[in-house]
Amino acid sequence: MKHFIYLIIGIVLTALFFVFACSDGFNIYEQMYFSQGFNDKMFNLNVYPVIAALTILVSWGGAATYYYAINSVKFDRWYHWLAVLGAVAVLAPVICYIYNDTVFSTHGVMYVGESIQFEMQTVLFAAALFVIASFSMRWWSSNCRHTPIPQ
Amino acid sequence: MRRLPSWLLCLCVIAVGLTACGGHGKLDKAVRSVLVSGDTTRAAYDSLCSIVTDNPGKYSDLVTGDGQVDHKRMYELIQEIGSKLRPPMHWDTRPYGGVQELSLTIYFERSGSMVPYDQRGGGGQLKKAVNDLINHFPATSKVEINIVNDGIYPYQHTVDEFLKDRDIYQSTAGIGDASYTDFQLIFNKILEAQKPGNVSVLVSDLIYSPRDTHGVSLDKIFNEENSLATRVFARYKGKSVVVQQMMGDYSGNYYPYNGQPFNYTGKRPFYLVIIADSDVIDQLAQDTRYRGVLDAPTVTNSYRFNQGASEVECRVLPEWENNAGRFRVRHGDGIVLTKCQGDRETGKLCFSMAVNLGGLLKDDALLTNADNYEVQSIDGYTLSIQPIDPSMVTANNKEYLDGMTHLMTLLGDFKSPRDEVHISLRNELPQWVRQSSCSSDTSTGGSFSTTTLGLEQLLGGMFDAMRGSNNLFDVTIKIQR
Repeated sequence: MKHFIYLIIGIVLTALFFVFACSDGFNIYEQMYFSQGFNDKMFNLNVYPVIAALTILVSWGGAATYYYAINSVKFDRWYHWLAVLGAVAVLAPVICYIYNDTVFSTHGVMYVGESIQFEMQTVLFAAALFVIASFSMRWWSSNCRHTPIPQ
Repeated sequence: MRRLPSWLLCLCVIAVGLTACGGHGKLDKAVRSVLVSGDTTRAAYDSLCSIVTDNPGKYSDLVTGDGQVDHKRMYELIQEIGSKLRPPMHWDTRPYGGVQELSLTIYFERSGSMVPYDQRGGGGQLKKAVNDLINHFPATSKVEINIVNDGIYPYQHTVDEFLKDRDIYQSTAGIGDASYTDFQLIFNKILEAQKPGNVSVLVSDLIYSPRDTHGVSLDKIFNEENSLATRVFARYKGKSVVVQQMMGDYSGNYYPYNGQPFNYTGKRPFYLVIIADSDVIDQLAQDTRYRGVLDAPTVTNSYRFNQGASEVECRVLPEWENNAGRFRVRHGDGIVLTKCQGDRETGKLCFSMAVNLGGLLKDDALLTNADNYEVQSIDGYTLSIQPIDPSMVTANNKEYLDGMTHLMTLLGDFKSPRDEVHISLRNELPQWVRQSSCSSDTSTGGSFSTTTLGLEQLLGGMFDAMRGSNNLFDVTIKIQR
């Protein structure tokens, strides 16, 4: 039962992240980085929901891959988990940047510097979501349920 | 992998669901895309309507009982989506949907002093202006032509014959009494006869020449002219009048108000007085089918009467060459600049705002003269204004400049933690009216070629009758530290 509570909390936190990432009023992305023209474009071109979803998918997908696809005693140490976290923290902003850049290029908009600075925060969000996802789903892993911190 | 729990699959479904929540329906997305790309054309509107008609079941709230697109609901939906964008965007689609075709009634003045405007040796600017006007109304069944002087007389030939007529005053010779023009009767008849969706245009030199002026002082004639214009137009509420001044070749006798006729060859101003319901004039300004009516390149000066304080669309530019200091635009009700900071070196705050003054139908000389504006604020902000040039538009600022006509730049010392900058454009008779008016026309000297006797009194009377408010528009910008 306790594990399901962790799972539900993880889902709620992730959903909250998504909601605040798409919000017009209190936008979590804009709280951390704001450059009016760039952020207005991100909002108008509907980029926020997609990059938030991509960040969630990469983070939760990374955690699921570690706990259920890799799921091996050979990789059950904390540093294996940390390596996956590092991969997620690199992969998510790269994917988001590529998407962001594609949308902007399609509309002929140029915000390269702003886009790079903006995606730096995706590193943090992806890492945080990976931790949340890990503590939500690790309990049902046959070999890695004790990683990164033993139960 | 075999042990992948079923709840993880549920998670995937939730994740996909979350992603879907962030998107909109196909129509919402298409509307957003049109607004963001600035492709606010009739073709774009038609493509949005086709999304609705392709799937009437899904968009049942946007379809009328007989299966047609409900244009009023479409307009509301587009405004709702536009209001959520940054900056909020407005697209008036009303002219595209279900609006009846406009009809045109020409009132062609045939007084003695009009005949020399259409001589065979002249440039024919007057006739061309009327022909161009008619050509903006392709359905000739919707065009009616009248000859006016002491009364209003129907033109006896077809519209095509009028267009081809190389000597219009010759072919209409003998109609009415060309020795005087009764504006009171003409304007009254025009306004009385006007039906919904009709655009009436008086083609005239706007020289008031009533009967029996022998021995009457010019001041008395001017006062009479002014009063009659006020009296006539004050009776018809909801009407809007656009006066366009053009220049044409004049060759022949000129009849001064109190003197002997004399021969004159050269330029003279003539006028198109466009009279319609206010919403029809709005449609003329917005509907691309009729836009040429008000945007004719041969217009020297123009002015729209009957303007109350209008809503003017404004967008603060986040990045602009003149910007000084820092600010953040808060989107929502009104224009609010938050987190403002003065420039580190000068302490000044400077920002630029794109505005759409096209709907006011005022000439650029009036709109770009900062003296015509009143600016009130605690920190003493000053205003400069310039027309938006296509070369200013880049992909990054397109959303802010698209559809806008002018750029207002406000500069002030950033001292007060909270300030409100009120900008208004005073509703006054434009300068060109005074400059184009004269009180004597007995000789060809001076500004004879560019002025009209008593123009200020006539248009001043119309202005008094239709003056809606003291300001043509008001804008307030809140500035917060």
